[in-house]
Amino acid sequence: MAPLLEARELTFGYEPDVPLLDDWSAVFEAGEVVAITGPSGRGKSTLLYLLGLMLAPTAGQVLVDGEAAQALPDRVRARMRAQEFGFVFQDAALDATRTVLDNVLETALYRGESRSAAIPVAEGLLERFGVQLRAEAKPGQVSGGQAQRIALCRALLGAPQILLADEPTGNLDPASSDVVVDAFHEHAATGATVIVVTHDPTLVARCDRSITL
Amino acid sequence: MSGWFRRLGGIVREAFAAAGSSPIASIATVVMVAGLCVTVLLTTGRTVGAEQAVLGSIDSAGTRAIVVRADASAGLTSSVLDRLSVVDGIEWAGAFGPAHDVTNTDIPDGSKVAARFAFGTHLTSIGIPAAAALPGSTAWGSTLSLAMLGLPDGAGSVTTQSGGDYTVAGHIDVPDWLAFLEPALLVPQAPSDPEPVAVLVVLAERPDLVSAVSAAVQSVLAVDDPTKITITTSETLAQLRALVQGQLGAFGRGLVLLILAVSGLLVAAILTGLVTLRRKDFGRRRALGATRGLIVGILLTQTLALATVGAVLGTGIATVVLAVGGDPLPGLAFTAGIGILAIAVSIVAALIPALVAARRDPIRELRVP
Repeated sequence: MAPLLEARELTFGYEPDVPLLDDWSAVFEAGEVVAITGPSGRGKSTLLYLLGLMLAPTAGQVLVDGEAAQALPDRVRARMRAQEFGFVFQDAALDATRTVLDNVLETALYRGESRSAAIPVAEGLLERFGVQLRAEAKPGQVSGGQAQRIALCRALLGAPQILLADEPTGNLDPASSDVVVDAFHEHAATGATVIVVTHDPTLVARCDRSITL
Repeated sequence: MSGWFRRLGGIVREAFAAAGSSPIASIATVVMVAGLCVTVLLTTGRTVGAEQAVLGSIDSAGTRAIVVRADASAGLTSSVLDRLSVVDGIEWAGAFGPAHDVTNTDIPDGSKVAARFAFGTHLTSIGIPAAAALPGSTAWGSTLSLAMLGLPDGAGSVTTQSGGDYTVAGHIDVPDWLAFLEPALLVPQAPSDPEPVAVLVVLAERPDLVSAVSAAVQSVLAVDDPTKITITTSETLAQLRALVQGQLGAFGRGLVLLILAVSGLLVAAILTGLVTLRRKDFGRRRALGATRGLIVGILLTQTLALATVGAVLGTGIATVVLAVGGDPLPGLAFTAGIGILAIAVSIVAALIPALVAARRDPIRELRVP
């Protein structure tokens, strides 16, 4: 049986002669929480974007369920990002003009899901991660930690098979971090893969394994 | 199908939300499209209104009418209508017999009015029923003739000089091109044996067809003595009409194209600026799984909504300004056409910025500070 996600001999650099990743390979199985660590500037976030099909490698392949994703048309890769993946960006990347609830519901549209059916799920996630705000509250009115948890709710809304998170606990207090790490393990227990880029040793210690770049 | 509607509903919701989140660009787009409609309607629309008024005046003078007058010895009969029925380009045709005086049966010394037998199937358009009761013995009169006869209600009877009676059954509307028959009292005849005809009136479908239709009419008259026939047309007027229409139309089209091109460029510039300002937003959407088609769909729907508001506002304002100023209105079709054209230009102008937004690399856009 093919692994849920595999990086095979990935090479990538933002500049042609300066590769950030060179012939890099790894396998990510269902049910595990994996930490990616390493000093700043080594390409941890870039690796996450490559694994999430947002960037195309210079060489090598990303395989999702054994299928080489780069060979697929852009439309299919976009659908795959919406349906198979969940993303938590380092800066949360919320839409400041929309309400918190609208932000969490955003990916439902990309998956072709009913908004009305997704609303109770989104509200449940916000409550679970302690983000109880007025319905019309906007991201500009919340703290950095709350914004990160809202981004996590957005990522989990579609119960993705692969959850990619970039410094998800960077702005959180220890108690909130524990809630988030517990959520990662609960999500992995459903058969998903969770890959976390982090500098937080506490988070690394709670992951099933870690990869250092 | 429900998934398709759900996706469409989502796109519409996102488009409206996006329009609301960029109020300045949205207002600028609405103002631009409204300005386009106002400018076109107050310039070209005014010209079109004037053109229609001029053409209407020319048309009312009978530009398209061809009138054939035949002496009794010419031998023109009502059978000419059968032959004209196969000629293309004819809107209306009717034949009228020689005039014979009648008076109100109850007022033998009253005013005399010239009654004529009338032939043809197009008589219904002037108010004579298709299946006239007792053909040959029932008459319909114009308001003028009925007033002269003392039958303003359109009911009664008239008597000919030879003692025959016709029942008057109602009014007819005499169009401009039959005004020379006034005071008109027509007695429709059944389509049976050919009867003598003194006047044949043919209306061409368009002014530019008058010459050709006139020639065709001459060729099917089948008269005994062509020298006893007089044909009157308004070819000069028709040529003038075509000239007026062509020159004013060319001016209007040129101006509309210029205004549309300038407005399209401005709308494209606004949307390009909007897309640049929102590059991070589009980058996030793409990264989270929005397809390029969805991004294009959201931007085009947003433009459609804003352009529609602008078009409705612009055409409404221009119509009110024209009406208040007492200028001729260009008509519903022209006004609606300009509104639809303005929306279409906006959509086309939005297409390139939308495609640019959809093709941007999501991660590079997300990394924009």
